Amino acid sequence: MPESRTALFLIVLTLLAASSGGHAQSSDTLPGVIVSRQLMESRALRVGDVIRLATRQSGEDARSFRIDGAYEPTADPMRFAQQRLELRLHLPDLQELLAGAPRHPAHGLRASEEIEAEAVTAINVALKDPSDAAAFARDIAARVPGIIARPTSAPNERTTTFIVIERFHLAIAIVTVVGSAVFLLALMVMLVDERRSTVGILRLIGFSRGRILLQIFAEGALIALAGAVFGILFALASEGLFNRFFQWRYDTTLVFLRITPDVAWRSLAIAVPLGIAASLIASWTLLRQRLLALLRR
Amino acid sequence: MSRAFHFARLSIIRQPARSALGILGIAAIGALLFDMLLLSRGLVLSFREILDETGYDVRVLATDAPPGTGPQLTGAAALAESLAAIPEVEIALRMRVDDADAQAGSERARRITFVGADPRARSVWNVVSGRDLPAAPVGRAAVVVNRHLAARMKVGVGSILSITRECDSRAAMPALDFTVVGIADFPFDSATESTVAGAIEDADRLCGGEDPDRAEMMLVRSRPEAGAFAAAAAIRAAHPALYVVTNEQLVERFSRLQFSYFRQISTVLATVTLFFGFLLIAVLLTVSVNQRLGEIAALRAVGLSRTRVTAGVLWESVLLVALGGTLALPLGFALSAWLDRILRTLPGIPATMHFFVFEPRALGLYVLLLAAASLFAAAYPMRIVSVLPIAATLRREVVS
Repeated sequence: MPESRTALFLIVLTLLAASSGGHAQSSDTLPGVIVSRQLMESRALRVGDVIRLATRQSGEDARSFRIDGAYEPTADPMRFAQQRLELRLHLPDLQELLAGAPRHPAHGLRASEEIEAEAVTAINVALKDPSDAAAFARDIAARVPGIIARPTSAPNERTTTFIVIERFHLAIAIVTVVGSAVFLLALMVMLVDERRSTVGILRLIGFSRGRILLQIFAEGALIALAGAVFGILFALASEGLFNRFFQWRYDTTLVFLRITPDVAWRSLAIAVPLGIAASLIASWTLLRQRLLALLRR
Repeated sequence: MSRAFHFARLSIIRQPARSALGILGIAAIGALLFDMLLLSRGLVLSFREILDETGYDVRVLATDAPPGTGPQLTGAAALAESLAAIPEVEIALRMRVDDADAQAGSERARRITFVGADPRARSVWNVVSGRDLPAAPVGRAAVVVNRHLAARMKVGVGSILSITRECDSRAAMPALDFTVVGIADFPFDSATESTVAGAIEDADRLCGGEDPDRAEMMLVRSRPEAGAFAAAAAIRAAHPALYVVTNEQLVERFSRLQFSYFRQISTVLATVTLFFGFLLIAVLLTVSVNQRLGEIAALRAVGLSRTRVTAGVLWESVLLVALGGTLALPLGFALSAWLDRILRTLPGIPATMHFFVFEPRALGLYVLLLAAASLFAAAYPMRIVSVLPIAATLRREVVS
């Protein structure tokens, strides 16, 4: 278990807010922290306030810190359903806080005596040449057994999660497209049926089946294109609404829905051929009938 | 009413291709709607079932941090005794969870989760072969392993496992040998998790007694006559510094936070699907009615009442939706199995957890929503039929 992360989490949970006037110590000499916007709002904190942080719920090992600023946490899709009640402090301050925690609590809490003062969860390394990341990670892992070193671009649990979510949405999209295709076909069958006599007359005055089919093809393509463009415009217009709702619901800056050119092209690539196919299939059932049958004679 | 139904039935039979496509469209949409209703509460129901299956209805932790991320309980043995002495509590089980490495024979060591529990209390896992941990130590320390570990490390009942744990002091501890006495299913294991369960004292021994008498949490079973809420209240009163939560509260918390995304996505998709279904039925009926205006006017002229003709349109809508909706149920079940399989590959999801769970409430809601969609969709074509001018329509038909 990552000790410092656990401890930091605990600190956040056991945040004890206090007004700046309530402390004898001058706030100028206190170590500074920056606090997430969500935590500032939920505890009605302001920049300059003095807060007390403890590693225990009872607050007996609490230390005072001065709020130097507020920050918007980096939007994290893995944690969007969690309230971002968190703050950042300098590493030496955190280590000092952990080292100063009480020993042998009666129950309930792990004594921080066991947490090494120098322990950290991770060390981020910026390479001069980022393309060396994989080789560097291999080298470190070989030199220091027990250390996990991996490039930040390497696939991990986070990427797996999004691959699965993407698969799920794709499956939903496939079912929706199948439903839409059947709907479209039913509609086209009815609309084409309405044109039975028109098609009969066209055939009677000499239009070939191929030519009528070509016209229907052009009409189907135009309608499908117009429908697909309307759909994309509608999605673009509702994108903001959708995002605003979920951003409000989860109090995050995360973007939930984004209509990218790739998504738009994919929609066109599916919708237009589908529309054309539906109109052609529906028309063909009519065109293959005998002329007199078309004219109901 | 039966005549109107017969009239609607004939209208559907007369245009088989059109009706079949309409029914298929409704079936596809209905299947998706049904699945979204299963998804909306699936995780919550599944999670509740897993919690209840453990046989304990109250959990006691050091803080409200999820198990494994927050601090552990210390003085666990005394705390367990203290909890068990509360009149509303039937039993309290200490549980400790640690990461460790296990090796079988000359195979390479693999990362495992070591669950330490009091073997005298009812275990939270289900033994599928062999036996459970002995209540008192007999010979070499015993463990039960999950099926994934048994298959991956090729161990069975009677095999020896050498286990080491990384302790807080970072000191290298010697491996301890354990005999596998059983293979079990653990309720919260993911499909790829390797889990070993042993006595909590053995979990302490893995670090040479460096951090003894700790527990991740206490699992408490309330007395049936008291109930979980009363037991939780009594524990809170006796140990105000501890975080006490009932299964019910845990489910509510997860439902509000962790599972809310799937609930909301299912609400959005169900709404869109329902609107789409409404549109499909409304368009099909409107076009169908518009194509039959002359015929309807003729029927009215020969004496069929307005109510009967209008009711016929309503019945047509109900029939289309009923047939499509019924066909959607097996489709929906098949689709939900596919979608469930996709979502269950999410990392860290317990293998026994399901995203799509059937409950009668979902079926009731599905029927209600489809019925509402069929009624609203029929409203406009019914209006067309009810205000149809008979003479003018017949005249127009004859002239055209």
